[in-house]
Amino acid sequence: MGDCVSQMPVAEGKSVQQTVELLTRKLEMLGAEKQGTFCVDCETYHTAASTLGSQGQTGKLMYVMHNSEYPLSCFALFENGPCLIADTNFDVLMVKLKGFFQSAKASKIETRGTRYQYCDFLVKVGTVTMGPSARGISVEVEYGPCVVASDCWSLLLEFLQSFLGSHTPGAPAVFGNRHDAVYGPADTMVQYMELFNKIRKQQQVPVAGIR
Amino acid sequence: MEAPPVTMMPVTGGTINMMEYLLQGSVLDHSLESLIHRLRGLCDNMEPETFLDHEMVFLLKGQQASPFVLRARRSMDRAGAPWHLRYLGQPEMGDKNRHALVRNCVDIATSENLTDFLMEMGFRMDHEFVAKGHLFRKGIMKIMVYKVFRILVPGNTDSTEALSLSYLVELSVVAPAGQDVVSDDMKNFAEQLKPLVHLEKIDPKRLM
Repeated sequence: MGDCVSQMPVAEGKSVQQTVELLTRKLEMLGAEKQGTFCVDCETYHTAASTLGSQGQTGKLMYVMHNSEYPLSCFALFENGPCLIADTNFDVLMVKLKGFFQSAKASKIETRGTRYQYCDFLVKVGTVTMGPSARGISVEVEYGPCVVASDCWSLLLEFLQSFLGSHTPGAPAVFGNRHDAVYGPADTMVQYMELFNKIRKQQQVPVAGIR
Repeated sequence: MEAPPVTMMPVTGGTINMMEYLLQGSVLDHSLESLIHRLRGLCDNMEPETFLDHEMVFLLKGQQASPFVLRARRSMDRAGAPWHLRYLGQPEMGDKNRHALVRNCVDIATSENLTDFLMEMGFRMDHEFVAKGHLFRKGIMKIMVYKVFRILVPGNTDSTEALSLSYLVELSVVAPAGQDVVSDDMKNFAEQLKPLVHLEKIDPKRLM
Protein backbone atom coordinates (compact mmCIF):
# COMPACT_ATOMS: atom_id res chain seq x y z
CA MET A 1 0.00 0.00 0.00
CA GLY A 2 2.66 2.53 -0.98
CA ASP A 3 1.10 5.99 -0.80
CA CYS A 4 2.18 9.35 -2.02
CA VAL A 5 0.41 12.46 -0.75
CA SER A 6 1.13 15.71 -2.50
CA GLN A 7 -0.26 19.13 -3.10
CA MET A 8 -1.53 20.28 -6.43
CA PRO A 9 -1.03 24.01 -6.94
CA VAL A 10 -4.12 25.88 -8.03
CA ALA A 11 -3.99 26.65 -11.75
CA GLU A 12 -3.38 30.25 -12.87
CA GLY A 13 -6.52 32.31 -13.01
CA LYS A 14 -8.69 29.47 -11.78
CA SER A 15 -10.34 28.73 -8.47
CA VAL A 16 -9.66 25.73 -6.26
CA GLN A 17 -12.88 24.09 -7.40
CA GLN A 18 -12.07 24.53 -11.09
CA THR A 19 -8.63 23.00 -10.66
CA VAL A 20 -10.12 20.03 -8.83
CA GLU A 21 -12.57 19.59 -11.71
CA LEU A 22 -9.73 19.71 -14.24
CA LEU A 23 -7.89 16.97 -12.35
CA THR A 24 -10.91 14.74 -11.92
CA ARG A 25 -11.82 15.08 -15.57
CA LYS A 26 -8.29 14.00 -16.52
CA LEU A 27 -8.62 10.99 -14.26
CA GLU A 28 -11.97 10.03 -15.73
CA MET A 29 -10.52 10.26 -19.23
CA LEU A 30 -7.74 7.92 -18.18
CA GLY A 31 -10.41 5.43 -17.24
CA ALA A 32 -10.59 5.78 -13.47
CA GLU A 33 -13.88 4.93 -11.78
CA LYS A 34 -15.44 7.08 -9.08
CA GLN A 35 -15.72 5.15 -5.83
CA GLY A 36 -17.28 7.25 -3.13
CA THR A 37 -15.77 10.03 -1.10
CA PHE A 38 -13.01 10.42 1.45
CA CYS A 39 -12.12 12.75 4.25
CA VAL A 40 -8.93 13.30 6.23
CA ASP A 41 -8.97 15.77 9.08
CA CYS A 42 -6.45 17.09 11.54
CA GLU A 43 -6.76 18.89 14.86
CA THR A 44 -3.86 20.52 16.60
CA TYR A 45 -3.23 20.44 20.35
CA HIS A 46 -0.52 22.20 22.27
CA THR A 47 0.71 21.57 25.77
CA ALA A 48 -1.01 23.94 28.17
CA ALA A 49 1.19 26.55 29.78
CA SER A 50 0.51 25.12 33.25
CA THR A 51 2.13 21.81 32.32
CA LEU A 52 5.16 23.43 30.71
CA GLY A 53 6.46 25.04 33.88
CA SER A 54 6.91 21.78 35.75
CA GLN A 55 8.17 19.81 32.75
CA GLY A 56 10.90 22.22 31.83
CA GLN A 57 10.42 21.57 28.12
CA THR A 58 9.24 23.69 25.24
CA GLY A 59 5.66 23.27 24.17
CA LYS A 60 5.04 20.60 21.60
CA LEU A 61 2.33 20.34 18.99
CA MET A 62 0.33 17.17 18.89
CA TYR A 63 -1.81 16.36 15.88
CA VAL A 64 -4.89 14.16 16.17
CA MET A 65 -6.05 12.95 12.78
CA HIS A 66 -8.75 10.80 11.29
CA ASN A 67 -8.88 9.11 7.90
CA SER A 68 -12.13 7.82 6.41
CA GLU A 69 -10.13 4.96 4.91
CA TYR A 70 -9.73 3.68 8.50
CA PRO A 71 -13.03 4.75 10.09
CA LEU A 72 -12.51 3.02 13.42
CA SER A 73 -9.07 4.48 14.06
CA CYS A 74 -7.60 7.67 15.30
CA PHE A 75 -4.01 8.73 14.63
CA ALA A 76 -2.07 10.89 17.07
CA LEU A 77 1.35 12.19 16.14
CA PHE A 78 4.13 14.57 16.97
CA GLU A 79 6.20 16.18 14.23
CA ASN A 80 9.40 14.07 13.96
CA GLY A 81 8.01 11.92 16.73
CA PRO A 82 6.06 8.72 17.15
CA CYS A 83 2.67 8.18 15.52
CA LEU A 84 0.18 6.37 17.71
CA ILE A 85 -2.64 4.40 16.12
CA ALA A 86 -5.58 4.07 18.50
CA ASP A 87 -9.30 3.47 18.35
CA THR A 88 -11.80 6.32 18.30
CA ASN A 89 -12.05 6.43 22.10
CA PHE A 90 -8.81 8.42 21.92
CA ASP A 91 -10.94 11.46 21.07
CA VAL A 92 -12.84 10.95 24.32
CA LEU A 93 -9.52 10.84 26.18
CA MET A 94 -8.47 14.16 24.62
CA VAL A 95 -11.62 15.71 26.10
CA LYS A 96 -10.53 14.45 29.54
CA LEU A 97 -7.07 15.91 28.96
CA LYS A 98 -8.51 19.38 28.32
CA GLY A 99 -6.58 20.88 31.19
CA PHE A 100 -3.23 19.69 29.87
CA PHE A 101 -3.64 19.89 26.10
CA GLN A 102 -5.44 22.76 24.54
CA SER A 103 -6.97 22.47 21.14
CA ALA A 104 -6.34 25.37 18.80
CA LYS A 105 -9.87 25.34 17.44
CA ALA A 106 -9.12 27.67 14.57
CA SER A 107 -6.45 25.40 13.19
CA LYS A 108 -8.67 22.40 12.42
CA ILE A 109 -7.90 21.51 8.82
CA GLU A 110 -9.43 18.87 6.58
CA THR A 111 -9.47 17.59 3.05
CA ARG A 112 -12.55 16.16 1.41
CA GLY A 113 -13.10 14.84 -2.05
CA THR A 114 -13.68 11.88 -4.35
CA ARG A 115 -11.96 8.52 -4.51
CA TYR A 116 -11.04 7.08 -7.88
CA GLN A 117 -10.01 3.52 -8.57
CA TYR A 118 -7.79 2.86 -11.58
CA CYS A 119 -6.69 -0.78 -11.70
CA ASP A 120 -4.36 -1.17 -8.70
CA PHE A 121 -4.19 2.56 -8.04
CA LEU A 122 -6.45 4.45 -5.66
CA VAL A 123 -6.44 8.19 -6.29
CA LYS A 124 -7.96 10.72 -3.92
CA VAL A 125 -8.32 14.33 -4.96
CA GLY A 126 -9.51 16.59 -2.18
CA THR A 127 -10.13 20.22 -1.40
CA VAL A 128 -8.22 21.31 1.69
CA THR A 129 -10.28 23.62 3.88
CA MET A 130 -9.66 25.47 7.09
CA GLY A 131 -12.99 26.55 8.47
CA PRO A 132 -15.04 28.01 5.66
CA SER A 133 -12.19 28.79 3.29
CA ALA A 134 -10.66 26.50 0.69
CA ARG A 135 -6.88 26.64 1.04
CA GLY A 136 -5.58 24.18 -1.52
CA ILE A 137 -5.80 20.80 -3.18
CA SER A 138 -4.45 17.47 -1.97
CA VAL A 139 -3.75 14.50 -4.20
CA GLU A 140 -3.10 11.07 -2.74
CA VAL A 141 -2.16 8.08 -4.86
CA GLU A 142 -1.97 4.59 -3.40
CA TYR A 143 -0.55 1.59 -5.15
CA GLY A 144 -2.35 -1.32 -3.48
CA PRO A 145 -0.29 -4.44 -4.14
CA CYS A 146 3.02 -3.18 -2.83
CA VAL A 147 3.88 -2.82 0.86
CA VAL A 148 7.53 -1.86 0.61
CA ALA A 149 7.63 1.82 -0.28
CA SER A 150 10.95 1.97 -2.07
CA ASP A 151 9.96 -0.86 -4.41
CA CYS A 152 7.06 0.95 -6.00
CA TRP A 153 8.20 4.57 -6.07
CA SER A 154 9.16 4.54 -9.76
CA LEU A 155 5.80 3.08 -10.70
CA LEU A 156 3.98 5.66 -8.59
CA LEU A 157 6.06 8.42 -10.16
CA GLU A 158 5.17 7.31 -13.68
CA PHE A 159 1.49 7.18 -12.84
CA LEU A 160 1.59 10.58 -11.16
CA GLN A 161 3.24 12.11 -14.20
CA SER A 162 0.48 10.82 -16.46
CA PHE A 163 -2.11 13.10 -14.90
CA LEU A 164 -0.22 15.68 -12.82
CA GLY A 165 2.31 16.48 -15.54
CA SER A 166 4.75 19.10 -14.37
CA HIS A 167 3.24 19.23 -10.90
CA THR A 168 4.51 15.75 -10.02
CA PRO A 169 6.15 15.81 -6.59
CA GLY A 170 9.47 14.35 -5.53
CA ALA A 171 9.72 11.24 -3.36
CA PRO A 172 8.04 11.76 0.01
CA ALA A 173 10.37 11.99 3.01
CA VAL A 174 8.84 8.88 4.62
CA PHE A 175 10.03 6.79 1.68
CA GLY A 176 13.60 7.85 2.20
CA ASN A 177 13.74 7.15 5.91
CA ARG A 178 13.28 3.41 5.98
CA HIS A 179 14.06 1.86 2.62
CA ASP A 180 12.92 -1.68 3.08
CA ALA A 181 10.48 -1.19 5.88
CA VAL A 182 6.86 -2.10 5.39
CA TYR A 183 4.71 0.91 4.60
CA GLY A 184 1.75 1.48 6.90
CA PRO A 185 -1.18 3.85 7.46
CA ALA A 186 0.88 5.86 9.96
CA ASP A 187 3.23 6.85 7.11
CA THR A 188 0.27 8.18 5.11
CA MET A 189 -0.87 10.26 8.07
CA VAL A 190 2.61 11.73 8.49
CA GLN A 191 2.50 12.81 4.85
CA TYR A 192 -0.91 14.44 5.34
CA MET A 193 0.33 16.21 8.45
CA GLU A 194 3.28 17.64 6.50
CA LEU A 195 0.96 18.67 3.68
CA PHE A 196 -1.46 20.40 6.05
CA ASN A 197 1.39 22.23 7.77
CA LYS A 198 2.69 23.42 4.41
CA ILE A 199 -0.75 24.65 3.39
CA ARG A 200 -1.30 26.37 6.73
CA LYS A 201 1.84 28.42 6.18
CA GLN A 202 0.88 29.38 2.63
CA GLN A 203 -1.08 32.47 1.94
CA GLN A 204 -4.77 32.18 1.42
CA VAL A 205 -5.65 31.16 -2.13
CA PRO A 206 -7.20 34.20 -3.87
CA VAL A 207 -10.80 33.47 -4.76
CA ALA A 208 -11.60 34.30 -8.34
CA GLY A 209 -14.62 36.43 -9.05
CA ILE A 210 -14.85 38.43 -5.85
CA ARG A 211 -15.97 41.94 -6.43
CA MET B 1 -7.22 19.71 37.60
CA GLU B 2 -9.53 16.76 37.57
CA ALA B 3 -11.12 15.76 34.33
CA PRO B 4 -14.45 17.54 33.76
CA PRO B 5 -16.98 16.01 36.20
CA VAL B 6 -19.01 13.19 34.74
CA THR B 7 -22.68 13.61 35.50
CA MET B 8 -25.13 10.80 35.63
CA MET B 9 -26.17 11.61 32.08
CA PRO B 10 -24.98 8.87 29.76
CA VAL B 11 -23.96 11.18 26.96
CA THR B 12 -21.63 14.15 27.24
CA GLY B 13 -20.56 16.14 24.24
CA GLY B 14 -21.59 13.50 21.74
CA THR B 15 -19.85 10.50 23.31
CA ILE B 16 -21.25 7.93 25.71
CA ASN B 17 -19.76 8.06 29.19
CA MET B 18 -18.79 4.58 30.25
CA MET B 19 -18.58 3.79 33.93
CA GLU B 20 -16.72 0.98 35.62
CA TYR B 21 -18.55 -0.70 38.49
CA LEU B 22 -16.14 -2.51 40.78
CA LEU B 23 -16.16 -4.87 43.75
CA GLN B 24 -12.93 -6.23 45.21
CA GLY B 25 -11.78 -8.83 47.65
CA SER B 26 -8.92 -11.25 48.17
CA VAL B 27 -8.18 -14.89 48.96
CA LEU B 28 -5.08 -16.52 50.40
CA ASP B 29 -3.05 -18.71 48.05
CA HIS B 30 -4.26 -21.96 49.58
CA SER B 31 -7.92 -21.05 48.94
CA LEU B 32 -7.38 -20.34 45.26
CA GLU B 33 -8.39 -23.76 43.98
CA SER B 34 -11.76 -23.81 45.74
CA LEU B 35 -12.56 -20.32 44.50
CA ILE B 36 -11.66 -21.22 40.92
CA HIS B 37 -13.78 -24.34 41.21
CA ARG B 38 -16.80 -22.33 42.36
CA LEU B 39 -16.30 -19.69 39.71
CA ARG B 40 -16.11 -22.32 37.02
CA GLY B 41 -19.49 -23.55 38.16
CA LEU B 42 -21.15 -20.14 38.43
CA CYS B 43 -19.75 -18.40 35.37
CA ASP B 44 -20.32 -18.74 31.65
CA ASN B 45 -19.12 -21.96 30.17
CA MET B 46 -15.86 -21.33 28.39
CA GLU B 47 -12.31 -22.59 28.19
CA PRO B 48 -10.44 -21.61 31.34
CA GLU B 49 -8.69 -18.40 30.47
CA THR B 50 -5.46 -17.26 32.05
CA PHE B 51 -3.60 -14.04 31.49
CA LEU B 52 -0.16 -12.58 32.07
CA ASP B 53 -0.17 -8.81 31.76
CA HIS B 54 2.38 -6.08 32.33
CA GLU B 55 0.85 -2.80 33.46
CA MET B 56 2.60 0.56 33.65
CA VAL B 57 1.04 3.55 35.35
CA PHE B 58 1.91 6.97 33.91
CA LEU B 59 1.45 10.37 35.49
CA LEU B 60 1.24 13.80 33.91
CA LYS B 61 2.00 16.51 36.40
CA GLY B 62 0.64 19.97 35.85
CA GLN B 63 0.30 22.94 38.10
CA GLN B 64 -2.82 21.36 39.44
CA ALA B 65 -2.68 19.44 42.68
CA SER B 66 -3.43 15.99 41.37
CA PRO B 67 -1.64 14.53 38.37
CA PHE B 68 -3.46 12.90 35.47
CA VAL B 69 -3.15 9.12 35.63
CA LEU B 70 -3.17 6.78 32.66
CA ARG B 71 -2.66 3.01 32.71
CA ALA B 72 -0.93 1.21 29.86
CA ARG B 73 -1.32 -2.54 29.82
CA ARG B 74 0.14 -5.13 27.49
CA SER B 75 -0.29 -8.85 27.24
CA MET B 76 2.90 -10.82 27.79
CA ASP B 77 1.47 -14.13 26.60
CA ARG B 78 -0.62 -13.13 23.58
CA ALA B 79 1.58 -11.96 20.75
CA GLY B 80 0.05 -9.36 18.49
CA ALA B 81 -2.65 -8.21 20.91
CA PRO B 82 -3.04 -4.42 20.98
CA TRP B 83 -1.93 -2.44 24.00
CA HIS B 84 -4.68 -1.24 26.30
CA LEU B 85 -4.73 2.33 27.52
CA ARG B 86 -7.11 3.10 30.35
CA TYR B 87 -8.26 6.25 32.08
CA LEU B 88 -10.12 5.88 35.39
CA GLY B 89 -11.83 8.85 36.96
CA GLN B 90 -12.42 9.59 40.61
CA PRO B 91 -14.96 7.30 42.28
CA GLU B 92 -18.41 8.86 42.17
CA MET B 93 -19.46 9.74 45.65
CA GLY B 94 -23.13 9.73 45.91
CA ASP B 95 -25.60 7.10 46.79
CA LYS B 96 -24.31 5.33 49.89
CA ASN B 97 -26.70 2.51 49.06
CA ARG B 98 -24.98 1.85 45.77
CA HIS B 99 -23.26 -1.47 46.22
CA ALA B 100 -20.29 -1.07 43.92
CA LEU B 101 -17.55 1.49 43.42
CA VAL B 102 -18.41 3.55 40.33
CA ARG B 103 -15.96 5.57 38.30
CA ASN B 104 -15.75 6.96 34.81
CA CYS B 105 -13.58 4.90 32.51
CA VAL B 106 -12.22 5.30 29.00
CA ASP B 107 -10.66 2.25 27.33
CA ILE B 108 -8.54 2.65 24.23
CA ALA B 109 -6.78 0.00 22.16
CA THR B 110 -3.51 1.27 20.75
CA SER B 111 -0.47 0.33 18.71
CA GLU B 112 2.75 -0.88 20.34
CA ASN B 113 4.54 2.46 20.53
CA LEU B 114 2.24 3.60 23.33
CA THR B 115 4.91 4.15 25.97
CA ASP B 116 7.08 6.22 23.60
CA PHE B 117 4.06 8.28 22.71
CA LEU B 118 3.03 8.87 26.32
CA MET B 119 6.59 10.02 27.15
CA GLU B 120 6.45 12.41 24.19
CA MET B 121 3.18 13.80 25.58
CA GLY B 122 4.96 14.52 28.85
CA PHE B 123 3.82 11.53 30.92
CA ARG B 124 6.34 9.83 33.21
CA MET B 125 6.07 6.29 34.48
CA ASP B 126 5.20 6.13 38.13
CA HIS B 127 5.21 2.39 38.76
CA GLU B 128 4.71 -0.91 36.99
CA PHE B 129 3.69 -4.43 37.91
CA VAL B 130 2.89 -7.81 36.43
CA ALA B 131 -0.52 -9.40 36.91
CA LYS B 132 -0.93 -13.12 36.45
CA GLY B 133 -4.18 -14.97 36.91
CA HIS B 134 -7.51 -16.23 35.70
CA LEU B 135 -10.37 -14.58 33.90
CA PHE B 136 -14.06 -15.50 34.06
CA ARG B 137 -17.17 -13.99 32.57
CA LYS B 138 -20.85 -14.03 33.49
CA GLY B 139 -22.91 -12.02 31.03
CA ILE B 140 -21.45 -8.52 31.14
CA MET B 141 -19.65 -9.16 34.44
CA LYS B 142 -15.95 -9.85 34.39
CA ILE B 143 -14.29 -11.70 37.25
CA MET B 144 -10.51 -11.63 37.58
CA VAL B 145 -8.51 -13.62 40.11
CA TYR B 146 -4.89 -12.60 39.90
CA LYS B 147 -1.62 -12.19 41.71
CA VAL B 148 0.35 -8.97 41.59
CA PHE B 149 4.10 -9.23 41.08
CA ARG B 150 6.61 -6.51 41.83
CA ILE B 151 9.18 -5.90 39.09
CA LEU B 152 12.63 -5.94 40.66
CA VAL B 153 14.57 -4.28 37.88
CA PRO B 154 12.63 -1.50 36.09
CA GLY B 155 11.75 -2.60 32.60
CA ASN B 156 12.74 -6.22 33.12
CA THR B 157 9.63 -8.33 33.38
CA ASP B 158 11.57 -11.56 33.81
CA SER B 159 12.64 -10.93 37.37
CA THR B 160 9.55 -10.47 39.49
CA GLU B 161 8.50 -11.32 42.99
CA ALA B 162 5.02 -11.82 44.35
CA LEU B 163 3.73 -8.90 46.34
CA SER B 164 1.76 -11.00 48.81
CA LEU B 165 0.60 -14.50 49.65
CA SER B 166 -2.84 -13.85 48.25
CA TYR B 167 -4.80 -13.34 45.08
CA LEU B 168 -6.78 -10.23 44.30
CA VAL B 169 -10.37 -10.89 43.21
CA GLU B 170 -12.15 -8.26 41.16
CA LEU B 171 -15.72 -8.25 39.88
CA SER B 172 -16.26 -5.49 37.35
CA VAL B 173 -18.70 -4.27 34.73
CA VAL B 174 -18.21 -1.50 32.19
CA ALA B 175 -21.59 0.00 31.32
CA PRO B 176 -22.99 3.37 30.19
CA ALA B 177 -23.53 5.91 32.93
CA GLY B 178 -26.83 5.83 34.74
CA GLN B 179 -27.37 2.08 34.91
CA ASP B 180 -27.30 1.48 38.63
CA VAL B 181 -29.19 -1.78 38.36
CA VAL B 182 -25.82 -3.22 37.34
CA SER B 183 -24.52 -2.86 40.88
CA ASP B 184 -27.51 -4.83 42.23
CA ASP B 185 -26.69 -7.71 39.87
CA MET B 186 -23.09 -7.57 41.00
CA LYS B 187 -24.07 -7.71 44.66
CA ASN B 188 -26.27 -10.75 44.01
CA PHE B 189 -23.40 -12.51 42.29
CA ALA B 190 -21.00 -11.58 45.06
CA GLU B 191 -23.38 -13.19 47.58
CA GLN B 192 -22.90 -16.51 45.82
CA LEU B 193 -19.16 -16.35 46.34
CA LYS B 194 -19.45 -16.07 50.12
CA PRO B 195 -17.89 -17.34 52.32
CA LEU B 196 -14.97 -18.17 50.00
CA VAL B 197 -14.37 -14.51 49.29
CA HIS B 198 -16.04 -11.32 50.47
CA LEU B 199 -16.29 -8.84 47.65
CA GLU B 200 -16.96 -5.31 48.71
CA LYS B 201 -16.76 -1.71 47.65
CA ILE B 202 -13.31 -0.51 48.66
CA ASP B 203 -12.77 3.22 48.53
CA PRO B 204 -9.14 3.75 47.40
CA LYS B 205 -8.94 7.04 49.32
CA ARG B 206 -9.44 5.30 52.63
CA LEU B 207 -6.34 3.20 52.01
CA MET B 208 -4.01 6.18 51.72
